[in-house]
Amino acid sequence: MDDLSIFLQILFWGLYAGCIYILLATGLNLIFGVMKVVNFAHGEFLMIGAYITATIFFLSGINPYLIIVLSMLALIAIGAVVERFCFRPILGTGKLNEIFLSIGLIYIFQNGAAMIWGDAWQSVKSPYDGITVPIGPLSVPLDYIIIIVVTAAILCALYLFLKRTTIGMQMRATSQNRKGAMLVGIDVERIDVISFGLGCALAAAAGTLWVVSGQVFNPYMGSIPAVKAFAIIILGGLGSIPGAIIGGLLMGLAENGAAFLLGGIWKDAVSFIILIVVLVIRPTGLFGGKEG
Amino acid sequence: MRYSVLAIAALLIAAALIAGCSQQASTQQTSAAGSQGVVKVGVIASLTGPASNVGTNMWQSAQVAADKINANGGVTLKDGTKAQIKLVVGDDESTQAGGQKAATKLITDDKVDILVGGYSSAVTSAYEQTIAEYKIPYIVTGASSPIITHRSDIDTSYIFHHCPTTDTYGQYTTQFIDQVIRPAVNKKLGASSDRPFRLALLYQDTAFGKGIQTAVNDTITKNNLNIVLVSQQSFKMGESDFRTQLTAIKAANPDALYLGAFPNEGAPAITQARRDIGLNTIFLSAENNDNAQFYKDVGQYGEGAIIESRFSPYTAPAGTVATDQDAFKQAYFAKFGTYPDMMGASTYDGVFIAAKAIGNAGTTDKATVRQALVDLKMPQLIEAMKDNTISFSKDYRESSFDLWMEQLSPDAKSGETRPSIVWPDNLKTTEFVLPSWYAAGSST
Repeated sequence: MDDLSIFLQILFWGLYAGCIYILLATGLNLIFGVMKVVNFAHGEFLMIGAYITATIFFLSGINPYLIIVLSMLALIAIGAVVERFCFRPILGTGKLNEIFLSIGLIYIFQNGAAMIWGDAWQSVKSPYDGITVPIGPLSVPLDYIIIIVVTAAILCALYLFLKRTTIGMQMRATSQNRKGAMLVGIDVERIDVISFGLGCALAAAAGTLWVVSGQVFNPYMGSIPAVKAFAIIILGGLGSIPGAIIGGLLMGLAENGAAFLLGGIWKDAVSFIILIVVLVIRPTGLFGGKEG
Repeated sequence: MRYSVLAIAALLIAAALIAGCSQQASTQQTSAAGSQGVVKVGVIASLTGPASNVGTNMWQSAQVAADKINANGGVTLKDGTKAQIKLVVGDDESTQAGGQKAATKLITDDKVDILVGGYSSAVTSAYEQTIAEYKIPYIVTGASSPIITHRSDIDTSYIFHHCPTTDTYGQYTTQFIDQVIRPAVNKKLGASSDRPFRLALLYQDTAFGKGIQTAVNDTITKNNLNIVLVSQQSFKMGESDFRTQLTAIKAANPDALYLGAFPNEGAPAITQARRDIGLNTIFLSAENNDNAQFYKDVGQYGEGAIIESRFSPYTAPAGTVATDQDAFKQAYFAKFGTYPDMMGASTYDGVFIAAKAIGNAGTTDKATVRQALVDLKMPQLIEAMKDNTISFSKDYRESSFDLWMEQLSPDAKSGETRPSIVWPDNLKTTEFVLPSWYAAGSST
């Protein structure tokens, strides 16, 4: 392997890792943007999405890339229930309540998943396993190209939804000014449910792509990605969807670059080093608006 | 409203009192049982948390051992009375705090006579201070770091290690590479016997992974082996994406890759190496990877890979150990409907060792039992031991295992791969082969 091939290969792995982060962080930012709630249990929605996809795949043998739709729909429903019965009652009562509620949810979801699916690590084989596509000097597995395309498609769909549909515009309005949105007649509680459900659906998409890419999963898989998703949205700017996308991509590339240049143990650390640097230089994040 | 609060408070107090009474009753019951010729063996296992799969296996294997001992009459004490084994489990929750809690509860509340178990080295070492404080004999059957009995900051004299350490498996695996893989690669390449073998390491950044890394480096240096470490990459425990490290390893052109990884890391690492990176080499894994889930996860990509082992779900060495291992597997299956794994096997051994030591001591007095463990010499059980005997070394109280190397080959029936023992000569059932797709790091 020459240096250029190695560089391109690392860049590609960073892009793939970035896709999972982007979906997770975008969902988290969607929820934060509209509801301003801190949900540390967001990684658990990724985990549930992964298990739903794997379960349907094991039972039916349907192409796991098609199951992503079912998994996202299921998570919209689960997210709506969690919003209605957990977050709505404590909305506006203080960040501490949100933090402890979401920590409680982490335990409930992890132990619930362990009861249903067991603690053991599991994996899924993609139907395209072993198929590679030559791109320049690289020979890239087809699965990763599909993952990148699926992520781009989901983000485009989200963009169109937010820009072109009435609900999307209502979500943006609520995100910009909750009281103003209420004054013009927007049912903000309904928007909260939709945003939370949509955010969870994006986490489910991330979980599905995680599973399809051949990575192992278990009920505790969501904790670290959730922390990273928080770092990404702070890095990109709280409530900013473009910020989450750029932040996610940056995180994926930085992690893989650091793992190659400095060693695997720096993989997680480098994301937070970048976060600290960005916050020192620009406290509102890369794409964050002015405070206050 | 005020009355409701009062009612809830009263209910809570009542519940607490009832719980307290139940606890008291339970303690008294066990105390009474203790005086009726029962030997209480505490089993520390990870019943919950990330290691619960292994922990449950250890606990269930202990039960199979206790059933067998009790069915044969139990343990004979000094006064001639027979005592039945009563197991009490402590869940370490796969955490250091949980381990501390479990050990303290077993010693102070359940008042066990001896302890068996312990999986993660980090978790086990966290409560060794408690073992030292209460001076209770503990047969560690899962933690693989040598620090368990080598550390000098606390008194480990009551701790006995019945599980090969990373020192041992690093040494065995490196010797296997030197004696078997290196000549095979040279033969394939038509290279001279002095061609340096290019070995790469991918290891977990913990005591376990670093232990393997150190052992490999030490074995090469100490024995002046013709092996060059061309790349040494680390990763964080629980990592599932190894593509970048594997890209770096491939760039170093290795002849083989030794993984110091857990099964949930080793299987995806091999899969990603073969499928995504095109690293067509021999992968060597540590013994904890030899379980059914690993074979399922690694699938066809496991072909040609090597696992250092001492107990496998799918194979057994030549000799009497095979029969004993099979009997254990069948007894376990009859009781739980699944098959045991390696840590289960050493825990099964551990309960027998505990019973034998107490029997030899003739009492449950802790110091006497400890001495019985120091002096112990008993025939091997279901794991192959050096000289077919279980005994603990005088310096660090470690038992010596006869380890073996298995090579994985495709199995049409399962669609996965299955192992066959290829080394050492006294245990092997077939010969090591380089797969047809194998690519050496360099052509000469």
